[in-house]
Amino acid sequence: MNASPYFRKLVEWVPVAVFAGMFIFLGIEAPNLFTPFTIDLMLKQAVPTVVVSLGLAVVIMTGGDDVVSGGIDLSIPAAAIIAAAIIADQVTNHGTLLPIALVFALLAAIMVGVLNAFLVVVIRMTPLLATLATSVAVVGITKVITQSKRINVTDPFIVFLRDGTVIGLSAGVVAAGLLTLIYWFLMHRTRWGMQAQATGGGREAAEVSGISTKAYQTISFFLAACTGFLASMFVLARGSGSSPGTEDNLLLEMVLATFLGAAFSPRRKVTIWGAALGAVLVTMLSVGFKSIGVNVFWTGCIKGSLILIVVASAAATARGRY
Amino acid sequence: MRWFLRYSFLVVIAACIVFFSLWNPVFLSAGNQMNILEGSAILLIVALGMTLVVSMGGIDLSVGIALDFGAAFAVVALKEYDAAWYVAILAGIVGGCLIGILNAVLIVWLNVSAFMATLGTFFIGSSVQRIFTNGGGPISHRRMPQEFRDLAVGDVAGIPTEVVIAAVVLILYFIFLECSIFGKRIQAIGLQPTAALIAGIEVKRIIFFGFIIAAATCAVGGLIASANIRMFTPLSGFSYLLDAIAAVFIGASMHPRGRPNVVGTLVGVLFLGILANGLNLMGLNFNTKDALSGIILVLALAFAIGQRRFVVLRKGHK
Repeated sequence: MNASPYFRKLVEWVPVAVFAGMFIFLGIEAPNLFTPFTIDLMLKQAVPTVVVSLGLAVVIMTGGDDVVSGGIDLSIPAAAIIAAAIIADQVTNHGTLLPIALVFALLAAIMVGVLNAFLVVVIRMTPLLATLATSVAVVGITKVITQSKRINVTDPFIVFLRDGTVIGLSAGVVAAGLLTLIYWFLMHRTRWGMQAQATGGGREAAEVSGISTKAYQTISFFLAACTGFLASMFVLARGSGSSPGTEDNLLLEMVLATFLGAAFSPRRKVTIWGAALGAVLVTMLSVGFKSIGVNVFWTGCIKGSLILIVVASAAATARGRY
Repeated sequence: MRWFLRYSFLVVIAACIVFFSLWNPVFLSAGNQMNILEGSAILLIVALGMTLVVSMGGIDLSVGIALDFGAAFAVVALKEYDAAWYVAILAGIVGGCLIGILNAVLIVWLNVSAFMATLGTFFIGSSVQRIFTNGGGPISHRRMPQEFRDLAVGDVAGIPTEVVIAAVVLILYFIFLECSIFGKRIQAIGLQPTAALIAGIEVKRIIFFGFIIAAATCAVGGLIASANIRMFTPLSGFSYLLDAIAAVFIGASMHPRGRPNVVGTLVGVLFLGILANGLNLMGLNFNTKDALSGIILVLALAFAIGQRRFVVLRKGHK
């Protein structure tokens, strides 16, 4: 509205400032939090969130960052937990070999992506409604697979993702780093990525210049589902198995991380780097609050408020811009 | 043909009724039909609140939280403060209003999109419930005043009170949304907010109060739920969210211009009620039933919205 440009600049930095403030607070309260050992632990903890945030970033970058009419995929955590449940159920209860179980899980995750793409691109449902509905259905199917029980997994590969190291770093962290690089290259350095971003930036303009926006949107849901599948392995590694109810927290952290990433980026746009960085910061914050003895139930409240601060600040600056 | 397609959802409902009654003849009995109505009462109340919000062009993901707060405030008022039943009802509605006010402030004052704002409210509200109940344990209150308990188990002239309450809310919403000037304004805001603003409608104020009214309505659902089981179960409202959204969009698919409307929402709620009841009578495992109703929900939404896109709205473009 009538806010001065200085005020707008100030509002733009509110989320970053709030985050910085929280980290300074944590650093003072728990000085041990930022030693290499704990940082490695926190990074390991962040891996599933990083992976699903990459998927959400792709969907938002391709679909546009308007939460209602643009792209959003709330079903990635559901895809991750159904894939995790299938792997755990197959490996532990049916004695299937891991590679075969992985194929089943991948197929399931891809089906989630195909269903989303069908609902959004063909039926033209709003992405948030479509993916919310998909997510509920998928979580329901997951309950049938696991009968709402925890399934332990002791497969060597999954254990390696949890405990193994590659060139001195945790295997999971290295894998997530590589994946971030791949997705970054795809979205920010290839022709495909540029055209996908053009689709997100202005659908009509992209269509007029000859880009098949439907194809891009379809593939973005597919790529998101793939991150769901990849995240499933890290979910299993982090929890040493599949447990019911993992999806809620993953969803909250994914949405927060991705939009927070936008607040950190120079043009306030969702980016791959931003999403990965956001996921790491959000996890560090959760772990940090836990370690100084804040009631675990408060973290949901804090994270929910953070989402609102980030989004409100984005809304305030957008209002100033237009 | 187009007429047929518009009402094809009614055909789907009829098919469901035939299928379930063939499966289990009990389905058609008068007692069971009353069961369906009773089972749909809370969902109808929540879905009406959702109809209001969707009519304004928004969405409310925190309806479940408003419902939970309604239940929690009422139960705590009865249990901790020995409040009279009408005070408890008032407390519950105030509890729901708090959620509505939070949404309204975020959406109208801070310009956050309805989706993000209510998602944030959902996360914060869930967290607050967990903190308050120390992890999500229910707060039970066995010795409830009979008047409060009657909200769920009593009857008015032989009709269960919850059905009567739902019917009253339905009629109020019908008058409010479909017959009053206020309803016309809400429709205008939902269709063309800028045009509505230029036409002199106080868009912000209406949206502000719209969200509060919707949340208060959901709290009424929470009152009935808590009276029914004589306790407050944290986070139990979430299960109504998607059903309410589905009911609204199913209803919208039957409207000539694809708009959310009160009668359509009622049909959507009855469809979901019939479905839930029929699946129950089939005696399925709890997890299977959950999965099946989730899948049917996706199909129903896809069908309703697809039909709205391809049949109802296309008419306007020709």
